[in-house]
Amino acid sequence: MKSKQIILAIITLSTLAFGANADSAIWGKDLITSILGYDQKESLHLGYYFTLLQSTYFKPLFLGIILGVPAVFFLHYLVIGPMIFSHDRKKIYIFTLFNRIVHAIAAIAFILIIPTGLVMMFGSTFGGGEFVRTCKEIHAISTLLFIISVVPMFFMWLKSMFLHWDDIKWLMIVGGYLNKNKNPVPAGKFNAGQKTWYWLATLGGFVMIGTGAAMFFQDFRLDILVEYGISQIDFLRGSAIVHNVLGAAVVILFLVHIYMSVFAIKGAIHSMVTGYKEEEEVEVLHSSFYRKLKKENKI
Amino acid sequence: MSENARLKFFCDDDRCIACDGCSVACAEAHELPAGINRRKVVTMNEGIAGLEYSLSIACMHCTDAPCEQVCPVDCFYIREDGIVLHDKDACIGCAYCLYACPFGAPQFPQDGAFGIKGAMDKCTMCAGGPEETNSHEEREKYGQNRMAEGKVPVCASMCSTKALLVGDSQEISKVYRERVLSVGRGVKTQPYGWGVAYGSKI
Amino acid sequence: MANTWGYGAMTNSLGDVQNAKAIIIFGANPAVNHPVGFQHFLKAKERNNAQIIVVDPVFTKTAAKADHYCRVRPGTDIPFMYGMLHLIFKNGWHDEKFINDRVYGMDDVMEEAKKWNPKKVEDVTGVPADQLIQVTKAYAKSTPGTLIWAMGLTQHTVGSSNTRLAPILQLALGNMGEEGGGTNILRGHDNVQGATDMCCLSHTLPGYYGLSDGSWKYFAKSWGVDYEWLKGRFAAPEWMNKKGFTLSRWWAGVLDGKNGNDKIHNGGTNLKNLFVMGNGITSIAQQAKVKEGLDNLEMLVLCDPFVNEAAILTDKQDDVFILPAATQFETSGSVTATNRSAQWRSKVVEPMYESKTDEDIMFELAKRLGFYDQFTAGMKVKENKKDYKWPEDATDEIARIIKTIGLTGWTAERIKKHTKNWHMFDQISGRGYGEMKGEYYGLPWPVWTETHGGSPLLYNINRSVKEGGMGFRNRFGLEHDGHDLLAGKGSAPKASSNKDGYPEINAKNIEKVLGIKLTADEKKRIGKNWKVDTSNIIAEKCMEQGMAPYGNAKARAKVWTFPDQIPMHREPLHSPREDLVKKYPSYEDKGNHYRVDTQYKSKQTEKNWSKEFPINLVTGRLVNMNGAGMENRASKYLAALTPEMFCSINPDLAGRYGIRDGSMMWIHSPEGTKIKVKAKYSHSVSEDRIFIPFHFAGHFQGEDLSHKYPSGTKPYATGESANTVTNYGYDIITQIPETKGGLCRIEFA
Repeated sequence: MKSKQIILAIITLSTLAFGANADSAIWGKDLITSILGYDQKESLHLGYYFTLLQSTYFKPLFLGIILGVPAVFFLHYLVIGPMIFSHDRKKIYIFTLFNRIVHAIAAIAFILIIPTGLVMMFGSTFGGGEFVRTCKEIHAISTLLFIISVVPMFFMWLKSMFLHWDDIKWLMIVGGYLNKNKNPVPAGKFNAGQKTWYWLATLGGFVMIGTGAAMFFQDFRLDILVEYGISQIDFLRGSAIVHNVLGAAVVILFLVHIYMSVFAIKGAIHSMVTGYKEEEEVEVLHSSFYRKLKKENKI
Repeated sequence: MSENARLKFFCDDDRCIACDGCSVACAEAHELPAGINRRKVVTMNEGIAGLEYSLSIACMHCTDAPCEQVCPVDCFYIREDGIVLHDKDACIGCAYCLYACPFGAPQFPQDGAFGIKGAMDKCTMCAGGPEETNSHEEREKYGQNRMAEGKVPVCASMCSTKALLVGDSQEISKVYRERVLSVGRGVKTQPYGWGVAYGSKI
Repeated sequence: MANTWGYGAMTNSLGDVQNAKAIIIFGANPAVNHPVGFQHFLKAKERNNAQIIVVDPVFTKTAAKADHYCRVRPGTDIPFMYGMLHLIFKNGWHDEKFINDRVYGMDDVMEEAKKWNPKKVEDVTGVPADQLIQVTKAYAKSTPGTLIWAMGLTQHTVGSSNTRLAPILQLALGNMGEEGGGTNILRGHDNVQGATDMCCLSHTLPGYYGLSDGSWKYFAKSWGVDYEWLKGRFAAPEWMNKKGFTLSRWWAGVLDGKNGNDKIHNGGTNLKNLFVMGNGITSIAQQAKVKEGLDNLEMLVLCDPFVNEAAILTDKQDDVFILPAATQFETSGSVTATNRSAQWRSKVVEPMYESKTDEDIMFELAKRLGFYDQFTAGMKVKENKKDYKWPEDATDEIARIIKTIGLTGWTAERIKKHTKNWHMFDQISGRGYGEMKGEYYGLPWPVWTETHGGSPLLYNINRSVKEGGMGFRNRFGLEHDGHDLLAGKGSAPKASSNKDGYPEINAKNIEKVLGIKLTADEKKRIGKNWKVDTSNIIAEKCMEQGMAPYGNAKARAKVWTFPDQIPMHREPLHSPREDLVKKYPSYEDKGNHYRVDTQYKSKQTEKNWSKEFPINLVTGRLVNMNGAGMENRASKYLAALTPEMFCSINPDLAGRYGIRDGSMMWIHSPEGTKIKVKAKYSHSVSEDRIFIPFHFAGHFQGEDLSHKYPSGTKPYATGESANTVTNYGYDIITQIPETKGGLCRIEFA
């Protein structure tokens, strides 16, 4: 399986990182050029930007997210409330066993990765030391779970996730979640919101894996960086910035996804357990998909 | 040392001859694992007449230390006299301090399996760490605490040519200024502080 | 140098370098080898605006701090110095009065110098003509100038000519006997000057007394040992006066001229046993031959705190003994610094484990060989004691006996006092104050009497003899070719009762030269001459008259006993310039040179070496290593700085052979040997030469000998020895190996 090969590749690469440490990519010859280049006009100024962002902006940003997003949804729940669909009509088989297993592993991975990541971000609040260090190790090890789930996930749903005109329409009405009625919403098998989450989780996930791995293994040399004249320390700084910024986006959409699947649409989570969705839910929330199914006499 | 002293390192590149006495003295005094260079000597433009120079670099104990600003567990503490220290027990080895540092001072002894990094290690200006001063634990984790004994950090004290100076930034500036100003004045000129270092006023 | 003016040692001191306005450094690298002492050079640069000029085949760390750097071809220092002299004489920058009063034979030098115009010097040395002019002007016009050298000048077949031309250069400029001037040879290891003074060499008794019958008799008497008994220790009486083998060629004595090796003259027998005490055998040239010598010994004893890597190099399995010697911290005694001053070292820890101090090992050996009583007799003579106290009685014995270099004042008590009060002396002049007033730190020799304060600046006539002044030594007779060899009128040290040149003092001329009368008792007790005057009367009387016991003569630019009376350029035995080999050939072969027939011309012309071996090989040192390197490579952090043997190679040169930075390469030698080392790109070497450090051992011609180390003794770093590929070549007078100017061929590994 592709995922197996990728895991093998990653493990092999990681051993290379230890063995080939004859000349450190950070503290070796490049140390001087990096020191000299820290503040020069032509440099990328990543050191400066990283320090600025990490010291001043990241914590407030994440704090805002983990407090603000739930707060908004709490308000939404109070004002608009959840969507409830009838259980009396047919059940449509949407998610295969494979889909569900992969999603479950991914879910576990996210549940391990995101809170531990947040613990690391707010390490001082948790007193640092042993506890935060353990969270860091969990965060890193869970990446393996993440890899084995997100890679198959990328391929298994790729066909259904391409953008469609429906998605523009969906976005314009914010998926129909801003009102209480149950008018059919323009969406395919997956709506624009789900697609956004998909692309962020997979492509963004790959970037998170890459930047995270870079920071984990730290001292290694990639030929492509050397070719483009990017020093290892700048690569790490860039990785840290991207990882945090993208991480913020991931946390936001993760919270959205939890809210949508657990609270906002009553019973949605069951589709990921049994594989079946209520007919009304599909009719309303994935109207184009419903029509297509009807045309193909699959219902 | 005055109450308002801010301690700094300064390496005079006119005097540094890349003898590595500082880096070896530091490694020996603090019994560092091989591969961790709290202090290292770098040579620029090697072999090119008129352009080659050498410098000894380590943690610069910055006044606005970026490492201290970015640490997610806030394990750094900056002493009143400017020395930047950190708590290895609180450190989670995330390397943010390394990313922020313009000088690459933080280093990570390979500690655990799968490349898990140990706690960060860097130059302490021979001032130890948060453990009890001159205790066994402090020595094990951070190396010698010479400052508490009133001694000069071992790198500067071992410098062959007194290129590496450490002390209150005002005092160091004075020494360097005297060196510069004594050019062409003949050997009877003694820079400030020389009498203290060598016990001779002649 | 001793052949030029009497003593062959550093004439000034490191602190005195701060007084210099110009410092020219030939083949020395003080930034690497004397890092702490280099402070003085840097301070001279800072405070005196001193010009630092470095003349070296490699752009060293010292050169990085220099104002002028001349990249000279290895072995062409004589043309370079003649080039300087050519310009100095042409422009009248020389000190005529000084030459007239205090130098003999400068005319011949002037004649030779005329031939060496800047263009010719450029052709031979590779230093551009205009750079030579610039450097000479800078040096000649900024006086006082001090001239520094080290192994880069001495380790050549013409080393003894190099070390005469450098003094001649200083004499021409009148830079001798001046503060900030002098010829300052930087001795390397701690106490190598002391070892030299005690003459651990095969051609002289301690204190440079030579091997004449007179010297032997003096020592026999001073030691309280029967002269006939001493004579009886030799296989036959004539061997008592014959020079022995040298450190650089002892192995020839083992190989006995067989299989194409040089023939020896050793009374029909060869060397059978080797006892090595604190010497890096792996730092001698032609290691393959050294190995052969070691393999063919009957017994090998190595005495060292660390395993001497000769034990690893040799294939000899039986009768190899390793004795653990104690370090300097486990014993006490005096040591001598490069500036001829003494320091006391105190024991700080008892000898560890089973190690014994060097003296204990030697005493035990003497006991078992049956001459312990005679061996230790000298220490009991002074106070007619029953037993001796080590090391004070040994130090006092040296002071009592060695008068040639004036060690009379070096009693244990005085040396200890100086070391205890080292804070009471001025850093630059060495003058003591307070309790130490009137003495110079460490009592630089000559210290003519037990109360003399030392002589920090040799040949300085601006100070009285009491204050350490003196003229040049009268060592070469009173006249030569009709020319008076004594110093000119009025050029005696300050406050001297004899204002002109005077001969060395002996019992016969003392009354006349000093203008005094001796009592009958004094006449009875006085020694034959100042060197063997056990009564010390000569020295005391001389001090009263403000005169130096060794005379006041002219320095000589011409040494009529040498093969080249004035220094002449001769190409190294392995030279990259075949055309110059024809023009400046080496010496005629020398038979029985320290008992070994040594080749010069025949080796040089054996074939056109430069064809097959086009690249100059330069060896040198690293700052974190020292000598044969065993000690330093066993130190974790020092070894970590340079964990592997390497070769500094110019990127363009390396590119031509397909050698990448960090890849392995072979260096092949005309000896037929080869080493495999890592290439290190560097711009400090030019395209026609490579540089290799000589501190490594433990590999031999690509083979790793690590398995041979006794368990637990292998150092952290091992590597090929540079001396596996250094070439055949030995100085004509001293037999020092020509490690600084060989040839090689390189190849991608």
